[in-house]
Parts: sequence; C-alpha cells; structure tokens
Amino acid sequence: MGIISKIINWSRLKSPWVLHFNTGACNACDIEIIAALTPRYDLERFGVVLKATPRHADILLCSGPVTKQIESRLLRIYEQMPEPKFVVAIGTCACSGGVFNGCYNVCGGINSVLPVSAYIPGCPASPKAIIDGVVKLLQSLEVKETKNERRKD
Amino acid sequence: MNEEKIKQELEDKFSYLKDLVNIKRKGRIFAQVPLGEFNTVFAYAVKKMGFLALSAITGLDRGDGVFEVIYHLNKEGRVLLNLSVMLNKGNPEVNTVTSYCPSADIYERELMDLLGIKVNGLAPGHRYPLTDDWPKGEYPLRKDWKGNSGTPFPGKEAKNA
Amino acid sequence: MHESGDVKIPIGPQHPALKEPESFLISLRGEKITASSVRLGYNHRGIEKACEERTYTQGLYLIERICGICSHSHSTCFVQAVEEIAGLEVPARAKYIRTLIAELERMHSHLLWLGVAGHEIGFDTLLMYTWRDREVVMDLLAALTGNRVNYGINTIGGVRRDINSKQKEEILGAMDILEDRTKYYIDLAKGETTLIKRLQGVGILSHEDAEKLDAVGPTARASGIERDVRKDDPYAAYAELDFKVISVNSCDVYGRTLVRLGELMESFNLVRQVMRKIPEGPILVKPPRKIPAGEVVSRYEAPRGEDLHYVRSNGTEKPDRVKVRAPTLANIQSVSKMLEDRYLADMPIVIAAIDPCFSCTDRLVALRDAESEKKNTVAWETVRLKGVEWYKNRGVDFTSLNKKLTKLFQHA
Repeated sequence: MGIISKIINWSRLKSPWVLHFNTGACNACDIEIIAALTPRYDLERFGVVLKATPRHADILLCSGPVTKQIESRLLRIYEQMPEPKFVVAIGTCACSGGVFNGCYNVCGGINSVLPVSAYIPGCPASPKAIIDGVVKLLQSLEVKETKNERRKD
Repeated sequence: MNEEKIKQELEDKFSYLKDLVNIKRKGRIFAQVPLGEFNTVFAYAVKKMGFLALSAITGLDRGDGVFEVIYHLNKEGRVLLNLSVMLNKGNPEVNTVTSYCPSADIYERELMDLLGIKVNGLAPGHRYPLTDDWPKGEYPLRKDWKGNSGTPFPGKEAKNA
Repeated sequence: MHESGDVKIPIGPQHPALKEPESFLISLRGEKITASSVRLGYNHRGIEKACEERTYTQGLYLIERICGICSHSHSTCFVQAVEEIAGLEVPARAKYIRTLIAELERMHSHLLWLGVAGHEIGFDTLLMYTWRDREVVMDLLAALTGNRVNYGINTIGGVRRDINSKQKEEILGAMDILEDRTKYYIDLAKGETTLIKRLQGVGILSHEDAEKLDAVGPTARASGIERDVRKDDPYAAYAELDFKVISVNSCDVYGRTLVRLGELMESFNLVRQVMRKIPEGPILVKPPRKIPAGEVVSRYEAPRGEDLHYVRSNGTEKPDRVKVRAPTLANIQSVSKMLEDRYLADMPIVIAAIDPCFSCTDRLVALRDAESEKKNTVAWETVRLKGVEWYKNRGVDFTSLNKKLTKLFQHA
C-alpha cells in the first residue's frame, strides 16, 4: 500500500462525517444520536461530525423502520452520497422493523432497502451503544484495509 | 361550566336529539346526530354555543356496514362535545367542516385516506397520511381490509401479503 | 396559495438536526415567503391499525413508541382511557409517580427544544449547554424507570416501578442543579441581545389565528391563550398540586421560548411538591383481561400541547379503535400562517418553535432539466463533472493536475 492511499485511509478513519436520516422512527433513537454528539458522550472526539447534506457524508445513520413513503427518499439520499459510503442501522426498528414489523406502511429494517454495514440494536439504542457501534464500524474498516494489504504483498 | 346546561340546550333546540345526548363524566358529552341534521347541529354548536375548537375527527368502522365519524369539539379547553354521525358503508359521504374550523382539513384527509369516506367540498391538496402511489380502493382502517395490518408475530405469509 | 411566478423550494424530508421527516414547499418572491404548504405522512407506520390487532397490554408498548420524546404522554393518555372504560381506581401513589415522570419528561423535552432553537439560530453553544444539562434529567429517568427514553413505566392499572427514599433525595438534588441552570437560561433569554433580536417579532401567530387554527400547548400559550389540560381537565395528581399556567402575549418565537422556560421552573416546583405529597401505598391494581365495551376520550398535556386519545372497546381483550391526535398535528396547521410574509432565513426557527423541530439546512435535491422538465436526482459523479466543466469554461482547468493525481493514485 502506497503512502497516498495510507494517508487517504487514515484521514477517512479519523474524520468520518455522518448524515442522520429519520426513516420513520419514533424520535427516540434520533435524540439519542444527538445526545451521543453532545458534551456528555461526545462522539466528536472520534472525528465524527454531523453533516447537513448527503453530499458531504461518509456514513448514513438511519433510525426507524423504513416507511413506504420514505423508501424512495432514502434511496435518493443514498445515491447522492459519494463513495465509499456506509450505512448504520440504529435502533431495533432500523435493524429489523422492531415492533412495527408487519405494519401496512412499513417495509421492515433498513436492510430491506439498503446494504447495511453495522447494526446497533436497542430501543432506543443508548448513546453508549451508538459510540460502540460507530467505533466498531471504523475498526472493521481498518481491518479490511490491512487484509487487502496482506493480499497484495 | 355546566354539562347539564349544554345537554339541555341541545335537546331544547333540536328535538330529535332527545335521549341521544349523554354525559359520560365531567367534561365529556357524547351526542349522536342524525346524518341529515348534522350540519345544522354542528354549525349551532360552533357558532352559538362556543365550541370553537375542533380537537380531532375520529373515523371508525363499526363492523356492521356502518361507519361512524366523531367530531371532538371543545369549549375553552374544558368541555369536550363529541358529535357522532353514522354513515352507510356503501356510500359514505360527509360535508367538510373546514368553513367552521379550518383545522379540520388534515383530519378530513385522514378520513378519506384511511377509511375511504368521501368529504364533499374539501379543497384539493396533498394526501395524508398514505403515499401517493397507494393503490385505489384500499382503506387500511376498514375492518374487512385484508392487507397486512401488523399482527404481533407475523408468519411468513402475513409478511409477504 | 402557490403562484406560478414565484420561486418554489422544496424542503425536507431529510434534515440534519432532528426528528420527524416532513417536507415543506415554499414559494418565494425575493427573500420573502409568499406561500407554504406541508406534506406529512413520512412517519406514518399504521399504529392505529396495528393496535386493533394487539391486546391492550401489547398495544401499550406500541403506543409508547408513537413518539420517543413524549412517550410517557402517549402511554399515560392511553392507559387513562383504558382505565376509565374498565372503571379501574388507580392507586394514588401510582398517580403521583406518573406525574413525576411526566414532569421529568417535560423538563427533558423543553431543554431539548431550547438547544434545538439555539441550533436553528446558529447559537450552537446553547445547544451544547442545554444538552449537557439535559443529561441530568436523563440520568434520573434511567434510574427511576430503567430506560433513558421509552420508559415503559406505565401499565394498565398503575405503574411498574416504585421509588424509594434514596431516589427521592437524588431527584431533589437534581432539581436544585437544574433550577440553577434554568435561571441562567432565563437571564440569557432576557439579556442576550442576539437571542432577543433573532427571536422577537419572528413567527407571529396572533391570538385570533391561534384560536381559529386550534393551536395547543406552548404555541397557543405564547399567543395569550391560557389553556392547559393539567388545569382545565386535571388528570393523574395535578388536581392536588399547585402550579401556574404560564402564558405571554407576545405571539412570537421569543414568547414561546419564555413560555417553555417558565414551564421548566413550574416543573421543578411540581416535582418538589410531588416528592413532598406522595402518599404511601400500592402502585398497581390488577386489570381485567377483557375490557368492557365503551368509548372514552382521554386528554393529556404533553410537552408540546394537548394529546388526545379516543379509545373504543368491544368487550374483548383487543381494542376496537384507537385514535391518536398528537399535539404536533394540531400545531402544524398554524405554521403556514406563521411563515406568511416572513424571510426565508427565519423559516427554521419558526418551524422549530412549535417544537416538531425540523431543521432546514436539509434538502433533498430533485433537479428539473430545463428542457425536458424531467425530474431527476443527480448522482455525485455528474455534479462533479458539471463542476469541472463550469470551471473550464471560465479558464480554470484542473484536467492535467487531475490526470497526474490519478496516475499517482494508480501507482499507490
């Protein structure tokens, strides 16, 4: 692995910018995401910054079961994100549909619409769990890169 | 606030409401209004009796071929007057009350979407709360609706329905 | 109404800060908003129908998840309705515990709102401050109920967890801390020029309009309508407690801020009273499995305003119909009025002021091709290429540099 990709990879891991999108959640997970970003939990110490637009984001944080109405919008937002992009499902509803599984206006978990890289269960997922999940996702990216490196050598 | 007085006034003014108005508890009055007379009673309650605020409109399928629409009116936030009207399931139609209560708009759209009740005179606008591509003739809150309604522990068939 | 000559901007449903996805269509003439309309339903999950398929107890957990921020409001409103149909006499201690949780919920919700309002006017320090203080309430809620959000403390016939004397002390201690902080925020709201200039006279909803459009909660109380279900139609333990209904006559966002801050102070006061007056005794009566037939309208003063549930039972273990009218649904209709003739830049704070808290740096770009009028989203790559071309036409060419870089990457 050359020096430049090392730098790119390092910077990617050190400054993951996230976009939060409520896909039909009850707001519980959403406020916990914000709580994770504010002083008590301070997710920003890992370089995580909440961005306002999908164009700037590396990671899409989805909360809630995907409602039929939001499905096409979710896809559009995903399409607008630059590569490489990762999706994190936050909360039980986002993981599997949760209590809303089977409701007529609900598609089910995020994975019924998009490929998901990390699942953070909980109703709602506590800020601690969210931090843990995001850090695990970042770690997994690191591992992947080193594996690739080995294969190349 | 005197619930008895309100009941008395309604019954005095509209003789057909006798025995149809009932006080469930403090601050809760339920009245069943015949379909043909509904607009008159509603207008009277809003304009003359001071039930200015519309808290909500509930539509429900009674299951026996009758829809019921309940208008929850309130007076200064203290007394709730619930005017209900029965509709025939074959031809469910009500007139809009947006001219009395502009906030009725969103509740009436809900009636149209979830129960398929036609609301005459409602200004065209967005759907609420279903999606734009929701199939025609499917009304989730009807009791005989066979779509997926979220049974607590759905089997595979229920999921795919 | 939207007119054809105006610039139309779609806003939503994606938004960075918080909460429900809704989308607004705004018509603009210059910087001024001429018309706006709201499209709801992105969050429609079909809970009302799902409740009909579940037993009352199963339904309760679903009702709790209508909204994570006012979960206690919805669940209390629902259990009150069911208890009234079943004729259950809820123990006094349970009623006090419900009141306690309700007021703690109001605190966390109002603090949350204050932070979001700060965020919307570009005052992010306030967001960080209030959210830090809010954690004090969250800790209390976690200690009392076992969960930070979606407490699950209500059950039909009472509450599921009791409080002990140690927790009582903790609560009282936390109230002192929070009161101190809230006094600071009140000083801030009354003295900080930027805050006042940014909020005063913005999002006007006159007394008449508020009444006509049936606004509820702090939105209505900031327009001089003294309406509070806790006072007008007391539930839980509110009839035995002493508190003021806070209202102001300024009709703007600044007024809504003051109302919420005032309510915070009242909430501390209420919690202290609850701690003093809470009687000993059982916290639960056993409910019947089948609820007798009947219909009930239950009301509750949620942090955002009046919450209304209509429950009809048919004598079985499942409800026949559950209708939920959340406070935001009542308030959302006054937003169009508040936005009329206002500047576009005021839109985020005006919408946030009713506390559904959208932020509107959000947007979902659906570009229209000028020739074909075809609606399409533009992928990242296309935008990049367009940008390259735009700069090329203006004499800035990065192509050779880009090629070099690409080469470098390939080597790497």
